[in-house]
Amino acid sequence: MATTSPSLSPRPRPVPSARWRRFTKGGGAELLILLVGIIVLWSTISSLIPNPSRYLPAPLTVIFSSSDMLWKGLLPNYVGQTIWRLVLGSILGLLVGIPFGILLGLNRTVSDMFYPILNFFQSISGIAILPIIVVWWGNSEQTVFTVILYTALFPIAFNVLAGVRGIPIIYINVMRSLGASNMRIIRDVIIPGAMPNIATGARLGIGFAWRAVIAGEMLVGKRGLGWMIFTAQDTDHTDQVILGMVMIGTIWILIDRFALRPIEADTIQRWGLVQR
Amino acid sequence: MPPKLVVQGLSHHYPDEYTGEDVHALDNVSLDVEEGVFAAVVGPSGCGKTTLLNILAGLLPYHKGHVKVDGVDVKGPSPDRGVVFQEHAILPWRTVARNIGHGLEIQGMPGPERSTRTQEFIDLVNLTGFEDRYPHELSGGMKQRVALARTLCANPVVMLMDEPFAAVDAQTRITLQEELNRIAMATKKTTLLITHNVDEAAFLGDKCFVFTRRPGKLKATVSIDIPRDKRIWQDLLHDPEFVAKRDEILTLVREEVSPHGDD
Amino acid sequence: MNAIQTLSVAIQKRFGRQRIRKIALGSIPFLVLLTLWRMNTVNEWLPPVYIPPMASVAEAIVILQDECTGLAGIFSMHQGCQFTNHVLSSMGRVGLALIIGVPTGIAFGVLAGMNRRISNTLEPIGVFANAISGIAWVPLAIVWFGIGAMTTLFILLNTIFWLVFFNTLLGVRGVPRALENSVLTLGGNRWNIITQVYIPGALPSIVTGVRMSMGFGWRALIAAEMIGGSSGLGFMIFVSASEYKIEEVFLGVLVIAVIWMITDRSFLVPLEKWTIQRWGLVWRPS
Repeated sequence: MATTSPSLSPRPRPVPSARWRRFTKGGGAELLILLVGIIVLWSTISSLIPNPSRYLPAPLTVIFSSSDMLWKGLLPNYVGQTIWRLVLGSILGLLVGIPFGILLGLNRTVSDMFYPILNFFQSISGIAILPIIVVWWGNSEQTVFTVILYTALFPIAFNVLAGVRGIPIIYINVMRSLGASNMRIIRDVIIPGAMPNIATGARLGIGFAWRAVIAGEMLVGKRGLGWMIFTAQDTDHTDQVILGMVMIGTIWILIDRFALRPIEADTIQRWGLVQR
Repeated sequence: MPPKLVVQGLSHHYPDEYTGEDVHALDNVSLDVEEGVFAAVVGPSGCGKTTLLNILAGLLPYHKGHVKVDGVDVKGPSPDRGVVFQEHAILPWRTVARNIGHGLEIQGMPGPERSTRTQEFIDLVNLTGFEDRYPHELSGGMKQRVALARTLCANPVVMLMDEPFAAVDAQTRITLQEELNRIAMATKKTTLLITHNVDEAAFLGDKCFVFTRRPGKLKATVSIDIPRDKRIWQDLLHDPEFVAKRDEILTLVREEVSPHGDD
Repeated sequence: MNAIQTLSVAIQKRFGRQRIRKIALGSIPFLVLLTLWRMNTVNEWLPPVYIPPMASVAEAIVILQDECTGLAGIFSMHQGCQFTNHVLSSMGRVGLALIIGVPTGIAFGVLAGMNRRISNTLEPIGVFANAISGIAWVPLAIVWFGIGAMTTLFILLNTIFWLVFFNTLLGVRGVPRALENSVLTLGGNRWNIITQVYIPGALPSIVTGVRMSMGFGWRALIAAEMIGGSSGLGFMIFVSASEYKIEEVFLGVLVIAVIWMITDRSFLVPLEKWTIQRWGLVWRPS
């Protein structure tokens, strides 16, 4: 005996689009409210404290100064310089670190030998090295660059070495029994097998390098974002300091979320799953 | 004696997560469970059984109708209404013994007394010897037994079970059903079991509430008077009275499942 | 078998052959480096202003501690004990920042992580706060606190807090809701839920967060001391560099590295290993 349920559906309401719902469900609405709240709180504190232009300029002031600096072309210049140093240092770090890591990782004995010392140098941050480099090469572009290269290099080399070391020896043995040459083994087994670690090392190295650029610019005095916020503090332009900080955070998020992480995830997905 | 668990005129709506549309989960449901009775709620998927259980457990607020245990309105979760969840939900970082004794720990029972009582329940569910094991060392069936022991050990007034055996294999399921039957005999706990498995409902229940498909309404109540100590699968499979009741429930449920099988 | 062989077998049995081999091999590059350093001084490949003799690096400690009045002086941070003062300043800051930053980070992280709405809202804030690396905060900190200890402490606290907060939040979020529900139905109250479900469940993430925050924090501290500090190891090497006292710089860098290695190796890594290993055996966070 089939029972029919009486039609109880209420009057059809317009259904909000799926995107909007994901936004609000995912805390989007609360985030907007929170951001507005932060800006309001910020403005309130600014207006209440003595000497706001020194201690906490109002949000509007920061926005005005940013458009001012954009207009004068200074901001793009500084951003460009900083990013240029980062990119150059990172690329060189990859070009040197990856082959270095692979070579060291190939032989068990050699990799066991170099593992601790690479770990050691990885943990002495580039900034700690900086004073030594400054004594050697003074306050020059070269100094900043060396520090960035150092900072990027070791995490990359270390992670690549660890990755190569972790490749099951059986794959290499199989290739040998197929008569493969060393180059072939490196190309077909080692590099794909170590890919996830290469990606992780790259992400770590570039992350450390980013911090090193900012600090290096502050200490050595070469123009760029780090330099900008440091001198702004010195010349009482706190609005530029805040502007610079926001830029630094935003740029890093852009680099990390839209370049580094997708590459890492993609590499791990493609090679990691296949490998393990 | 008034019934232990009383549900009156319960209706429930909620907005769907993805489409935003209003889902009418329960429609004017009224049922009661007397003390010591083992009741089963059975129905097609989506008939609101789990919603009903969450409301009874106090994990889901309700606005239309009444839900009372021992005459008191249900307002939130409480150890009076113990729940055995489908995903067992025992804490992975505690041993079997500490999981089972967790309710008593919260109630503040001192250590030695708690140990004794916990041991009773470890033995009741046949987990003697596994006191110091961690959940990851146990099979699915054993984990569910830990969950069961934990709920019983806290001595709830009413025990609610949400498809407790859905996640175990068929063989284990049958064994667990017989164990649950034995435990029901021993503890005489007022129980409400949610299941989509008609055999299970008929095997375990003194009373079976059959629900319609969404929006869930109470379609029929089927009583099963077979005494507990006679409930063994081997015997019941051919028992005419059992088979008749089971078929009755099955027919009722089948009517609610759409012919296209997309419930 | 003679005595040496017996001893060697005994050592191998006790520590594990593989481990000994690794330690022996691993020390070779260090020994090579040290040898090259010594040879550089002897053969004068590079002038001492670039690579100071080992002896003068060691001597630098003595020079810096010249006017120190013994152990009492060290512990009371007498102004003559320059070297130990710097070391104690830096380490003291780390200790203080840990004591303040870790519990508050965990507390806020747990509260934020327990509520889905709140954690979704705060996650982007946490991401942004972490993206503005500790260093970028230095100029603002100087504006607020001036050059000195407060600035360096602030930078360290900032770094530690956000990392611990964020990792705790993620860890708590990864604990299945069913666990909270099950404890609720056993009569647990809010406090039970926090201490018996969320903190144990989030423990691996919390420990990882603490370790990361120490790593980043130590670096940020050194940099902050260089840029805006008036004491501490970072400050010391920066000032020494500006005075071209390369042996003091070397000393400082070595001490920075050694302190980090000791802390990480003998404390943080075992802690992480123990927690994650033990927890990994009993619980895999989703």
